[in-house]
Amino acid sequence: MTLGLSISNVTKTWNPDGSSPTPAVRNLTLDVNLGEFVVLLGPSGCGKSSLLYMVAGLEEATSGSITFDGLEITQPSPERSLIFQEAALFPWLSVRDNVGFGLQIKGITQTKRRQKVDDLLKLVGLAGAGDKRPHELSGGMRQRAALARALAMDPKVLLMDEPFAALDIQTRARMQDHLLRIWRETGASVLLVTHSIDEALALADRIIVFTSRPGQIKAEIKIDQPRPRDLHSPEMVDLARRCDALLAEEVNKAFAEQELL
Amino acid sequence: MTDQSLRANNPSTIATGLNLKEHAQTVRRKLVPLAWTCASLGLFVAIWEFSWWQGWANPLLLPPPHIFLSNLPEQFRFFDPTGGRAGALSEGGSIWSVLGVIGWSALRVTLGLSLGFVMSLIVGVAIRYFNIFGKLVLPLVTMMAPISPVAWIPVAVFMFGIGNPPAVFLVFIAIFFVMVLATLSQIDAVPPHFIQLARIMGASKRQIYMQVILPAILPGLFVTLRMNLFAAWMVVLIAEAVGVGSGLGQVTMMARNTFNSSLVFFTMTLIGITGFAFDQALGLIQRKILWWIGPSSIGRI
Repeated sequence: MTLGLSISNVTKTWNPDGSSPTPAVRNLTLDVNLGEFVVLLGPSGCGKSSLLYMVAGLEEATSGSITFDGLEITQPSPERSLIFQEAALFPWLSVRDNVGFGLQIKGITQTKRRQKVDDLLKLVGLAGAGDKRPHELSGGMRQRAALARALAMDPKVLLMDEPFAALDIQTRARMQDHLLRIWRETGASVLLVTHSIDEALALADRIIVFTSRPGQIKAEIKIDQPRPRDLHSPEMVDLARRCDALLAEEVNKAFAEQELL
Repeated sequence: MTDQSLRANNPSTIATGLNLKEHAQTVRRKLVPLAWTCASLGLFVAIWEFSWWQGWANPLLLPPPHIFLSNLPEQFRFFDPTGGRAGALSEGGSIWSVLGVIGWSALRVTLGLSLGFVMSLIVGVAIRYFNIFGKLVLPLVTMMAPISPVAWIPVAVFMFGIGNPPAVFLVFIAIFFVMVLATLSQIDAVPPHFIQLARIMGASKRQIYMQVILPAILPGLFVTLRMNLFAAWMVVLIAEAVGVGSGLGQVTMMARNTFNSSLVFFTMTLIGITGFAFDQALGLIQRKILWWIGPSSIGRI
């Protein structure tokens, strides 16, 4: 039995029986070890989000199998928590109740939730914001609340779908620091989708570069540099160039295809 | 004088001025819309009065406000909460009888609206929750929705006779089918991320409906309810005119039958004011209880 996440030979086709089946992911094989930080890097619409949804158990693979700790993934579970680009906090709940939502679903009483939720709010730097409503928070704070909500369920894998794409650059950098600290403290694996090379370089143990649709693995780049990383160091600049060249090929391919249509 | 010029002319007010300025802004925020409401109404009345003054509007058929509002006690005589018939002027005559008549109409509207809102919510959610129920019921609802409440009047009388029940039933019918369809479209518009998130958190179907879908659709439904409020008022007046024998609708009908145009316009004024008050009340409830969606634009000036 393999611990961690194991994706083997997975293909996902949208609308497989319809008139225009769209392949999203083809024959993809990928293992994510316990505690590993893997970043999926690729052009938009390359199927990396589809892969994330399949790992979350929200979508079914057309063929192939995805297992977690040796067990086939058939449905969503709090141990594989997904974080969206927009925080998707419930506007009718306070920040504290949003963070405690999963615990409340599990049937944990208000008083028992309270301690854990307040600890988590402190962890993500929202200690004073528990009684606020989501619309009173900034984008970065909302995303941190969403992170706390996921962490409340003690996930073994954090699946993140371009979680910082909607934030400004300064907030982004702070959020990445937050995420790295939390990742280290919780020991969860992270599978993060992005199209930002800098984000991938700052965060990843391993970058998986995707081809354009249908998504396949184009290249795998291991980064051993200790964090926090100086993206201007010669090694990192070198890596950035490499990623850039790989991505540019795929973007050009995608554009050429679109022009044919 | 604007705030800015005030500050520029008198720098000493800046320190204490902040609170004052805030206060002044609050007052202005409330007064400006009120002023526009008065202007809107005033313009309408002015045109009417002018037409009368010019002799274009026959005071017997289109009496201007200063005529139909001049002799209130005279008008009050026609209002009897128990539904006194034309000519039976024994009971009416005080402001209380007028309020009583308004109260009866308002009560019928409130009952019909509340019943309609709750029932349509239950049926709408059930259509999505129970697959087979939905397939059986939805076509029927869609076919019933375009039938005018007026066409239901005979049915209401067959089923409930004369009195309050048919009026409440008609208000209910006027909003029920539309609100069921609105509930469905609201459910379908719940952000998919909300439901995916609840599934990841381990929520059951029942929990998803109760804790995610219901709170997500309520504000939008309330807006729809507010839009249908006016339809409900129209229906209750028709019902009262035809089958109940009391209320504002009955007074209007009596005024028509006795060719009392002043009374017609006086009653119309009351209906307008009451409807406006209802809309404001619903708006208040919306802002206080269902605050998580921005206030709707209906009826906001």
